Amino acid sequence: MISINHYLALATVMFLCGTLGVLFRRNLLLVLMSVELMLNAVNLVFVAGSRLVNNLDGQVMVFFIITVAACEAGVGLAMVIALYRRYGTVETSFLRMLRG
Amino acid sequence: MSQELMFYATAFLITVCSVMVVTNRNPVVSAIYLVGDLFLLAAVFASLDAHFVAAIQVLVYAGAIVVLFMFVIMLLNLGPEGKAHLRIPAPELAVLVLTIIGFTTIGTLLLTGQAPGVGGEWSPEAIQTNGGNTFTIAMVLFTKFIWPFEISSILILLAVIAAIVIAKKDKKQVVHD
Repeated sequence: MISINHYLALATVMFLCGTLGVLFRRNLLLVLMSVELMLNAVNLVFVAGSRLVNNLDGQVMVFFIITVAACEAGVGLAMVIALYRRYGTVETSFLRMLRG
Repeated sequence: MSQELMFYATAFLITVCSVMVVTNRNPVVSAIYLVGDLFLLAAVFASLDAHFVAAIQVLVYAGAIVVLFMFVIMLLNLGPEGKAHLRIPAPELAVLVLTIIGFTTIGTLLLTGQAPGVGGEWSPEAIQTNGGNTFTIAMVLFTKFIWPFEISSILILLAVIAAIVIAKKDKKQVVHD
């Protein structure tokens, strides 16, 4: 049996990769993909914790996270398409209307 | 022993795929690496006795969400991202530093302490005798979590409506190419 700390370390690495992608990538699609990466790291923590404490609530929670991720991807990609129609690009540096 | 070998190999590949998703310049290649990442994570879920979650991970994430990403990439016909001029503005740097501090704290806690585990009722053997992973998850989902389940269906309906309204072509606004 592998210790839960190994799973948590793996999830930490994945989450950190996602954070770096959200902060430093300039393509809006890549930012959305990095968010998916972060959500998957959280899923891993839920499943590992569920196995550790012999409780299925964590696995049920993964389903809700997958539902929210699917909704987020659908709405986010619709926004990407709308932005591309409006500005002709999906680079984040062009979208500075709310920056003040 | 072979289980540990499997886990470390999978973990290494997941790390490589995650780094490639973030660092690759071509969005299509990034999406391919994301698929690999999700598949390998499904393998980890299966090794954690969460078989139904692993199946759903492959079906919904790798099968539906990444295909949606692929469609949008193809639709927009994006080329590779330009050379990154290394701009690191202050807000991003602050968030990054805070994130690293937070993860260092978590890491030290993990290395020094042991995560507490209280015995729940659903050990793998109990799940086996109850009728399998899928049956037991369905039992928990449709009794204890019935209201979140119903609310998530409303959330999906709202997301569908929102996606259609947002992506609809507006006649008045300027249309590029």
